[in-house]
Amino acid sequence: MTSFFVGKASEIPEGEKKIVVANGRSIGVYNIEGQFFAIRNTCPHQGAALCTGITTAFINSSGPGNFVHEREGEIVRCPWHQWEFDIKTGHMIVDPKKRTKSYDVTVERFDVSVEESEIYVHL
Amino acid sequence: MEVTESKKPEEIVKKKRTIIDSDIHNYTSLDEIKKYLPRVYREQIDLWGWRLPGSLYLNGGTNVGQRADSIPPDGGFPGSDLDFMRMQYLDPSHVEYGILTGSDYSCQATPDIDYAAALSSAINDYTLEQWVNKDHRLKGSIIIPKQDPRLSVQEIHRVGSHPDMVQVIVASGAEKPYGNRFYHPIYEACVEHNLPFTIHVLMEGVGINPPTTGAGYVSYYPEYRATRPQVMAAHLASLIYEGVFEKFPTLQVVLQEAGVFWMAPYLWKMDEDWKSLRFQTPWVKKKPSEYFRSNIKVSSQPLEKTPNPEMFRQMMKAVYADETLLYCSDYPHWDFDSPVMAFPKLEDELWERIFYQNAAELYGLPARKDPTGGID
Repeated sequence: MTSFFVGKASEIPEGEKKIVVANGRSIGVYNIEGQFFAIRNTCPHQGAALCTGITTAFINSSGPGNFVHEREGEIVRCPWHQWEFDIKTGHMIVDPKKRTKSYDVTVERFDVSVEESEIYVHL
Repeated sequence: MEVTESKKPEEIVKKKRTIIDSDIHNYTSLDEIKKYLPRVYREQIDLWGWRLPGSLYLNGGTNVGQRADSIPPDGGFPGSDLDFMRMQYLDPSHVEYGILTGSDYSCQATPDIDYAAALSSAINDYTLEQWVNKDHRLKGSIIIPKQDPRLSVQEIHRVGSHPDMVQVIVASGAEKPYGNRFYHPIYEACVEHNLPFTIHVLMEGVGINPPTTGAGYVSYYPEYRATRPQVMAAHLASLIYEGVFEKFPTLQVVLQEAGVFWMAPYLWKMDEDWKSLRFQTPWVKKKPSEYFRSNIKVSSQPLEKTPNPEMFRQMMKAVYADETLLYCSDYPHWDFDSPVMAFPKLEDELWERIFYQNAAELYGLPARKDPTGGID
């Protein structure tokens, strides 16, 4: 397993993401409520750059006309066909058998402020 | 000379299983039902006629769409004579149960909704008295003034608990697609009385209903037949996307006479779009094809012919025929599908689903009285 330096925590505030190339693979690193998650920037459907799609909530409903936003910031919609993926796991929402690869992310902090912590993704 | 009593194998009488036919058109002639109408309408009809919209197109066969051999001995209209229907179709075709679907849906295209309600009640009373009560095999459909859900619900409550009225029926031509919440009170009543809701092609483009297609009025009868699936497809999508089957999970809807196999790629398309656009209609919780399998039934007639049997088998699978398909003859209409000749040879289990069990489960009809079936 190799570790790849993504950047300083300050570069990816809550609700934001950073797309990096690690060992030739494009990976999206997301900050969801202070926790970091990384998924491959490739949609398993037709190969679009998944992480360039919008980051949003899961929209649930109790019936026509009712919209409930859940799991804010945990969903990425592919830029092409709008398939929804769970950023925390890489699985497609409506068909979890379809998935993009997810990676472990660690935050290393050596006597520096939180903002200066270093984010690593492990391939 | 001695006569042997043992039969040679080829002389053994072959038992044949009986069938359920989910679309038999008994003639609900306006002249017949007139006496079931309230006085005010009978007098109006005498003075000013029926004021009901008629078909825009030619038809097939003779007598406006009927099998040429279906005229009863008294010269009456095809489908008007129960004895002749028994002799020509019900008995020789081993019909265990037949669902009557009537012949005149013009009341569902008039702007006068109280008149539509009176006509609906008259047709239902006539069907009960003159058909359903006279042959235990025959079951009736409740026609409703679908232009007005409140009056429709009243009619469903009036006759819906009659054990021999087994479904609510509407024409495919409608002011709004059938998933629209305008119609939901009707579905509530259907569920309450455990009645399927059947959409039968007819009345598209007629009276107050919108044009025969979304592209406008087509000109000719074969063209109209070819475009019927467009209207039915709109109803199917509407029922799914308006969340009808989430709101009424037990409601069963029958799509009647708009064809069968076009639904396969249509379902594939809806499933694919649902993956992409789920969040726009988040009340649609499942793939459209899952609602199709749990809440939709499809009438077989007029069954499409495929270029080869293998393709037929694949298409049957693609529309989940074992779960959804109901054998329908459409007797005595000219495009009648024979119970023995319309289908290519089917596997026994699939035949049994289509020709009996799917309809028995849908309409709550009992198993065959003679489990070995009637005599061929």
